Amino acid sequence: MSAEYLNTLTENASRLGMRLQETLSEHTRDLALTRSSAAIYLDGADDKKRNIRKQLDSNSDREKLDAMKRLIALISKGRNVSEYFAQVVKNVASQNLEIRKLVYIYLLRYAEQEPDLALLSINTFQKDLTDSNPLIRAMALRVLSGIRVPMIGSIVVLAIKKCAADVSPYVRKVAALAIPKCYELDNSHLPSLIEIITTLLQDRSPLSIGSVAVAFEAVCPTRLDLIHQRYRRLCKVLLDVDEWGQVELLNLLLRYARTMLPRPMTKPEGNEIDSDLKLLLDSCEPLFQSRNPAVVLAATRVFWYAGLPSMHIKFAGPLLRLLHTSKEVERVVLSYLLVITRVETTLFTPHYKQFFLFSDDTRQVKTQKIKVLLRLLTFDNHQAILREFIDCADDVDDQVVSDSIHAIGRCANLVPESTQQCLSALVTMIKSNNDVMVSNAVLVIKNLVQGQLSSSTTHRSTSSISIISHLARKIDSIRHPAARACVIWLVGQYCSITESSAGGGSEGIADWAPDVLRKSAKSFIQEDVIVKLQIIILAAKLLVMSTQSTYSKTLELLSSYVFSLARYDPNNDVRDRARMIASLLAGVYPSLGDEQNLEERKGVVLRREQVKVVLFNGKAEAVDVDEKDEPNVLLGSLSAITGRSSLTDRILPEWLEKGVGSSLRDSPDDVPVVVVPTAFGSGPGRGGPGSVAGGQSKRGFGNQPDVLAPSGSSSGSGPGGAGAKKANGWTADLDKFYEESSSEEEDDEEDEDEEDEDEEEGEEEGSEESESGSGEEDESNSGSRGGSDGEKVKSEEDEESHDNTTRTGTGHTTSPRQEAYAENIWDK
Amino acid sequence: MGLDGIIILDNMGRPIIQSGFRSSSTAYPLLHIDTVNKALQKAASPKEIDPVLYIAPYNTADDPKPSACCHVECGDIRMLCPISGDVDPLTAFAFMQTFIDILREYFGTLSVATLRDNFDVVYQLFEETLDAGGHPLTTSSNALRDIVLPPSLLNKLLNVTGANLTSTMNSGLGHASGPFSSPIPWRKAGIRHANNEIYFDICEELKAIVNKHGTTVTSIVRGKVEANSKLSGTPDCLLTFTNSKVLSDCAFHPCVRLQRWTRDRALSFVPPDGRFTLFDYRYSPSAIMANPNDAAISARDNVAIPLALKTNIDAEDNGASFDVTLSSRLSTHALENVEVELCLGQGAGGIKCALSRGLGGGGFINASGRSAEGTAGASWSYDSETTVLQWRIAIVPPSSSWSLRGSFTTSARVPRPAHAIVVRFEISSHTFSALKVDQLKVTQEQYKPYKGVRGRSSGVVEWRW
Repeated sequence: MSAEYLNTLTENASRLGMRLQETLSEHTRDLALTRSSAAIYLDGADDKKRNIRKQLDSNSDREKLDAMKRLIALISKGRNVSEYFAQVVKNVASQNLEIRKLVYIYLLRYAEQEPDLALLSINTFQKDLTDSNPLIRAMALRVLSGIRVPMIGSIVVLAIKKCAADVSPYVRKVAALAIPKCYELDNSHLPSLIEIITTLLQDRSPLSIGSVAVAFEAVCPTRLDLIHQRYRRLCKVLLDVDEWGQVELLNLLLRYARTMLPRPMTKPEGNEIDSDLKLLLDSCEPLFQSRNPAVVLAATRVFWYAGLPSMHIKFAGPLLRLLHTSKEVERVVLSYLLVITRVETTLFTPHYKQFFLFSDDTRQVKTQKIKVLLRLLTFDNHQAILREFIDCADDVDDQVVSDSIHAIGRCANLVPESTQQCLSALVTMIKSNNDVMVSNAVLVIKNLVQGQLSSSTTHRSTSSISIISHLARKIDSIRHPAARACVIWLVGQYCSITESSAGGGSEGIADWAPDVLRKSAKSFIQEDVIVKLQIIILAAKLLVMSTQSTYSKTLELLSSYVFSLARYDPNNDVRDRARMIASLLAGVYPSLGDEQNLEERKGVVLRREQVKVVLFNGKAEAVDVDEKDEPNVLLGSLSAITGRSSLTDRILPEWLEKGVGSSLRDSPDDVPVVVVPTAFGSGPGRGGPGSVAGGQSKRGFGNQPDVLAPSGSSSGSGPGGAGAKKANGWTADLDKFYEESSSEEEDDEEDEDEEDEDEEEGEEEGSEESESGSGEEDESNSGSRGGSDGEKVKSEEDEESHDNTTRTGTGHTTSPRQEAYAENIWDK
Repeated sequence: MGLDGIIILDNMGRPIIQSGFRSSSTAYPLLHIDTVNKALQKAASPKEIDPVLYIAPYNTADDPKPSACCHVECGDIRMLCPISGDVDPLTAFAFMQTFIDILREYFGTLSVATLRDNFDVVYQLFEETLDAGGHPLTTSSNALRDIVLPPSLLNKLLNVTGANLTSTMNSGLGHASGPFSSPIPWRKAGIRHANNEIYFDICEELKAIVNKHGTTVTSIVRGKVEANSKLSGTPDCLLTFTNSKVLSDCAFHPCVRLQRWTRDRALSFVPPDGRFTLFDYRYSPSAIMANPNDAAISARDNVAIPLALKTNIDAEDNGASFDVTLSSRLSTHALENVEVELCLGQGAGGIKCALSRGLGGGGFINASGRSAEGTAGASWSYDSETTVLQWRIAIVPPSSSWSLRGSFTTSARVPRPAHAIVVRFEISSHTFSALKVDQLKVTQEQYKPYKGVRGRSSGVVEWRW
């Protein structure tokens, strides 16, 4: 019996064990599957698509999540999976946040492409807009504004309006970004959108203000009048805005300053600069220390286009710092430096060494550095920079070689004292084995020599001629066609100028010239077309110059050989040139022309002197072309980088003759500034070392009422208690707080805007802070970014306003109301 | 107007992941991918590609805006950021850098494999960091961690078992640590660590060019202080240096209070949690002098190069022979992971090399305790694709010298080796600036954190011959 019992027991146990093992292995298989990678979704075959629909309809979150991941993977592969839209939309209200997020991602992709289907889900989004989680609210708005159906325009406007008054600055930020999309969809909503922007501009949170600037620029860029009253506060808040918002805000403020403020003037008796412009420049200056290159550049733009030239020195260091952040940033910043150095070089002249070329620089960086170095070239540093160019002429990249050799030529033009050095460097390069180097050096020498000979001071021409003779002797080793053509032209053009010192030449021709013709005539057939053309001209020039020369007979023979070769050349140009030159010389050497029709020829026959004039004179001095960048390229624009201007470029407004009246910019916000002395009076009293620390902190996070989440019981508790509670209360629930505070105040107004609550919270915060003044810990904890007095004062103001509110018992939501209310303060 | 989106390509140029594009045409991202791939094919080496590629408007009637493609290579992936209209490419590059940093923080390493493994997380990150209108949203990693959960084994376990951690964490009782509840954008609320500790790494990099006479033409040392903070609550730190005068051209993490720095050159900040770069700077040896913008001073601004190189390259027809000697000028520290690179130019081959170790530094016992004798630890290799000859020495003890002799042939008659030899090296527990932390005070919290500082430096010296 007992044995039987035992038997069943063991049997059961083993069965249980097996079952356990089964389930366990099943689970671990799943585990291994997910852990090994989600990549299986990406690699998965398409035949699994069939299941997706079923999975989406299933009850299990796991199945749904799996299906959503599959869908996202298919999107990633570039498949169109809009067919599942209906099933996906059903899950938009899923309790699982991860599923919901993936559903949103799916909808954001297809809302644009399948607007009609997206309409199905609008109700859900509207419901989501009231979700307790700010993340859900923001995502719902993002999807809603992404649906491109003009029909729902007014729904979107309402949603934006609602979110613009949200308690979470994150949601307000998303609301601001939704405005341009809504405007794009249907611009008939412009008035209500502008109204929302006006409200948002009041926002006290630095988190959302950058996006408001985006919306402003996209929707109503001309309504700068909306900025007037907020200008000063926007300047002050600049430092606390997130880095991307700083870029947008700086661009907006710069545009405002250029349109509305008087132009700053440098005058001998002192600089004339508007106080509001100075405020912008002062609050912009710390941003040069940002780690984000885009912010540094935006700040540079402000100083460059709105600052006095004496202030430009401030961005020199920061821009140079950017050169070391990354290769790509270096490339872009160098382009901007070229824009700046075209106007002002002295800023960077002391730092010229930072532009020396590293061999691992990219090609663009190298060529740009060469351009910058040329701009920075002065008499004092020309030695070092020239040496750098000479070193770079050895680079492995042919483009860089050519650029640096041309730079050497420019160097000689810019600093005439360095000409000798440049020429001797170039002549050394000609001896090099490197083809590219030789050809470029020859071209540059040609330009230099030509420039020198035309400026014709005798001692210089001596050296130039000796260079030409040197080139003439090296003609065999110069193989590059353009370089060869160039040398041959030089020889022909300057063969006549002989000096007693150069010697050897008989009347009129230097002795090296005929030899060049001899050598080139020999290789005529193999030469490039441009070289052939130059050989013909050389022959003609030598013939004309050698009147009674001993070479004359030889030259004539050589020339007629060249001309007869040229006449039957396969190339049109060469044949034409030969015929043309031959008839030009008809008066001097008739034998060169076509013998048959010599008698029949009519027209003017030129004498030797006339031919000389035709052949030698009127040669324009070749100028080494400087980079042809456009003068009106803006700093920080794409066209400065790509070198192509486009119609969509931003245009920076010109300064007005006189700015608009500064009283326009007075706003209720600035009012308490007048009260500064009293505020300071109470300052030390609040005091202790803690408040000093708080005052020192420039970037803080207090006084941004709605970012801060104070503890639930903010009003009513005693000073000490508030301090202690607040220290712990960092993590308090925002929503709960609002509920409590409103219930405490017994505020029955249901429809009161949430914006209002925000401000009340600010007031709460302000009063609290002053109450708990002696608790230093808490003070510097909340960090009252007090460094600026105005801010400290603001809390004072807020306190006052709080009093005011309680007395009058009215809310204040929109700006006109607030203004009226500000007047109340004045009246007091 | 803005950043149109982000596309991530694998090393074959195929798109793996791309963010949503708000554009009239689906061809738009493809056009950009195509342009980049064409540019990659055309260029002989990746160095020749312009990081900003101009893309002409593909359909003038539909979309008259020309656009440009900014791209960055990072490991085996390439990130593309198409921009259209008039956008500063710096914004695109700054955003891509931020995004790469975020991905690194989420996945540890950044590669095709990790991205494929976590593609759903990457998609969520796209949505949270970049608005469809082309403007960055949330990029602070501390805030992002609340919205997009980083992949962890625990998450996956819970997903498999069906437990719904995310929803409970984000909407239920744990609201205290929910998204956007922190008053400080860069720091999560309610952080708790069992051990409170904060570490600072001072990393400096020397970049210098030395001419053929052995004199330094230009040199610059840039440093950064990387911090790893594991502190509970909301600590307020105050970091002071004994010699803060050597710092110039600084750039700070947003958490640093700038006014405090300008006033008494002390860093006052509430750190984000985890790893971050506190600030970076340039070392200026002449900062003690009055005016840093004076031209005369820049000559004194040079930093001593910790090594010397003697090079002799004889170019002949169809080949060249070379003889390079490297010696350390340091007296106490060893140079580590030294890499000497010489680009031999097109068509080089038939490399023969002999390594030897010269005199000096014989008795030195290196960090690992074994005597560094002979040519152990030195090796050379040649990459025929980039034509770079690389000579590696694991450890160069103080005042020792090493040499490399050899020859190569070229298919072209005239060999064109690069005119400079690039030497890379590292020195541990050493900084060029000798920047020294005076003290770190943590206020606002009760605990005494464990603090650590260490220095590390590296260098790239270009030695011309």
